Amino acid sequence: MRRLKGVVTAGLLTALAVTATACGGGSAGTAGQNMVAATQDLSGKQGGTLTMLASGDVDYIDAGAAYYQFSYMVHYATQRSLYSWAPDTTKIPTPDLATGQPTITNGGKTVTVTIRDDIKFSPPVNRIATTADVKYAIERAFKPNVANGYVGAYMGNLVGATEFTDGKASGISGIETPNATTIIFKLTKATTNSLIGALALPVSAPVPAEYAKKFDAVNPSTYGQHQVATGPYMVKNDAQGNAIGYEATRGIDLVRNPNWVAATDYRKAYLDEVKIKEGNSDVTVASNQIVSGQSSINGDFGPPPAVLQKLYTTKSTQLIGAPSGGIRYISLNTTVKPLDNINVRKAVIAVSDRVAMLKARGGAVVGKVANHFLVPGVPGFEQAGGYKGTGADFMATPGGNPALAASYMKKAGYPSGKYTGSETLQIVGTSGGTAQKIAEITQAQFAKLGIKTKLILVTQDAMYTQFCNVPKKAVAICPNVGWLKDFNDAQTILDPTFNGNNIVPENNSNWPVLNVPSINKSMAAAALITDPTAAAESWAQIDQAITAQAPAIPWVWDNTENIASSNVKGVVNKFNSSWDISFISIK
Amino acid sequence: MARYIARRLLWTVVLMFAVSVVTFVIFYVLPSADPAALRAGRHASPQQIEEIRHKYHLDKSLLDQLSFYFKGILLHGDFGISYVNDQPVAKLVFSRLPATISVAVGAAVLWLLSGVAIGIISAVRRHSKLDRTTMSLALVGISAPVYWLGLVALYLFADDIGLIPLFGGSGSYQPITEDPLAWLNSMILPWVVLAVAFAAFYSRLLRGTLIEVMGEDYIRTARAKGLPERTVVMHHGVRAAITPIVTAFGLDLGALLGGAVLVEIVFNIPGIGRLAYDAILHSDLFLIQGTVLLAAFFVIGANLVVDVVYAYLDPRVRYE
Repeated sequence: MRRLKGVVTAGLLTALAVTATACGGGSAGTAGQNMVAATQDLSGKQGGTLTMLASGDVDYIDAGAAYYQFSYMVHYATQRSLYSWAPDTTKIPTPDLATGQPTITNGGKTVTVTIRDDIKFSPPVNRIATTADVKYAIERAFKPNVANGYVGAYMGNLVGATEFTDGKASGISGIETPNATTIIFKLTKATTNSLIGALALPVSAPVPAEYAKKFDAVNPSTYGQHQVATGPYMVKNDAQGNAIGYEATRGIDLVRNPNWVAATDYRKAYLDEVKIKEGNSDVTVASNQIVSGQSSINGDFGPPPAVLQKLYTTKSTQLIGAPSGGIRYISLNTTVKPLDNINVRKAVIAVSDRVAMLKARGGAVVGKVANHFLVPGVPGFEQAGGYKGTGADFMATPGGNPALAASYMKKAGYPSGKYTGSETLQIVGTSGGTAQKIAEITQAQFAKLGIKTKLILVTQDAMYTQFCNVPKKAVAICPNVGWLKDFNDAQTILDPTFNGNNIVPENNSNWPVLNVPSINKSMAAAALITDPTAAAESWAQIDQAITAQAPAIPWVWDNTENIASSNVKGVVNKFNSSWDISFISIK
Repeated sequence: MARYIARRLLWTVVLMFAVSVVTFVIFYVLPSADPAALRAGRHASPQQIEEIRHKYHLDKSLLDQLSFYFKGILLHGDFGISYVNDQPVAKLVFSRLPATISVAVGAAVLWLLSGVAIGIISAVRRHSKLDRTTMSLALVGISAPVYWLGLVALYLFADDIGLIPLFGGSGSYQPITEDPLAWLNSMILPWVVLAVAFAAFYSRLLRGTLIEVMGEDYIRTARAKGLPERTVVMHHGVRAAITPIVTAFGLDLGALLGGAVLVEIVFNIPGIGRLAYDAILHSDLFLIQGTVLLAAFFVIGANLVVDVVYAYLDPRVRYE
């Protein structure tokens, strides 16, 4: 899961969302929403400087390590990975450095990609990128100096990957480069979908070994501060390649890559320069600066409710929403009493007021109430029941169904319909903002069933790394967890989060500690299905099976709200659900 | 005096060591994020996390970690690496220093001049309309939270979102070396906002002490000698009454040089305060240590300067 950038922090907009119907530049309104159009107008005027306001920084300026929605906004504009995502594509990635779709042979265990022979690195490297550069880029991502967060999960089945990471081999033998334009990936298992999905992430962007090795030898690698580009833009650098346009937590200055040739790329790259200004902690001020200013867009934050309201009522053309591909839920630890009883978990979900949670986050404008775990747009979502849900009765009433909850409590062995045990369950939430409100609402839902809880509030990082990600801490309820697809594959959403085989002592993402052998087995089988339709069907069934286990309270499928100044012609990248720097223009 | 200063400098080192130890202990005692897990990323395996933990000595005891940390500082001038930014702490901290100095020094000049002037006038014209007005405003100034005042200033006077667009707003900071005029324009609102609260406090403080001093026998004597009132007030009254102001000024300036957190956040000024805020949010231990040490250095240094200035202002004070 790449990190999801922040969205609306507080407030209510339900009434507004029902009445607002306006739609804006490049967008088409649906009921109460300014959602991105199915097909956007990608034309624009050449030139100009755009300012992007951000609250925080990219996670890594090094494309090989980046794993964050906001970082991808920068990397997809500066790097040409084998595949990437044109603004309106969501299902099959667009060939970028590659010349066409990959060839799959050997029962899904071999993937061959041919790349262009006319893509040059930016100064100071100034040479044509080859498949050896792609191989090096992927290999370096396996090393602790780069610490990429996803190659192990999606490329770990490459032949020789284990030997390479263990230091027993100098390269990954399963990545072959017979010539400068052909790269062959050999897998130990037919996990083709994961591999191809990962080839459309920034990690597959070429890195010139002869230039990068000295930076990669340092721990952590400093290549990011000397990075060369293949995309239309690059981080402003000096003659030695030092990224003078990047100052951590202060800003990033993207300028044109002089070696980029428009004819080789699907990107338009209208802008001359993009200035990313970070450190805008007060998102209300930053949002107002964008809305009332010129040539500005938002980066890693969403507008707060007050600004959203203003936009809906008076400046709706400056707002475009897009489904984030993410879900937020409240995990229920299936190993902690009384949540180890499935009927108690069902009762908790049944009684929960998920509408109140959505309202606390900003109302219908920021997303829809979720009722299962696959996210809209991902293959398998519709087959699993789509927005209607999987049919689980305890998920059927978003506002809560106390009678049904009571019936499940009776089934769990509590005749009064209320909990009578003595346990006090620990809730660990994130302090401050909407997250804290969600944690407090969660506590109230448990109280409805007579379950005593103790709420502990810490920073988000502490919540994950010291509590919810550590199974031995046995945190009963984690109200502020969520997951975002890495690419359009259901496996990227369900496997790390609900597969019992993925439970690890730390950095664990299976927060409910769900370990159902039949589900684990189904996931292992589904991961090897190469036919997209069959895979979608299989993952839909897994989603239904997980939902039936009631391991968590899913409460929102997020939208990302993108705002722009009135003179900006915005284009949203639907894969990343954020502005696409390579297609935005100044009117 | 030289011996006194040398002794104080030695104490500075001891104090900074103590501050550093306390920060380390707080970091580990209170629920904080696991730096290795943060550095490793979401999909990292426990083995990868362990590797990182080992690399940064996070698998060692608290005592050993402290030992590695101080060895790094003393032997190599290495203050560690920021886990979040992947950059040396010293580089990050020193790159932020100019912005914080800009905020602190500019505001300090403003509040000192205005606070002292208002304090003197109010004391000299006690119970006048001017005194009542300025002291009432001072009360408002002291009571208004800096972040609130900052937001009000932005919505009133910032050139992007203000009703009366006059000065640079949030995020408009430019280093003085790049564009002095833009720097000045971006600094006016932060200076004023920061100065309001301090000036209000200083004026009330000076007014109180000056009123007390002006009732002393030696003031009466000075007047009896026929000295002009201006000389009596400035040379005999203010000089004696200013010592508490010197104490407060030294401490306030020292603390601000360690990071004017709220003002830097509201006005998006890339200074030490904002850096410390981000570091705390992300449990970035070495960066927290770096910013805390810098703040401690400035506060302790300011104290030393205050003590030396005291000796000059008040001949009765001798440090031996």
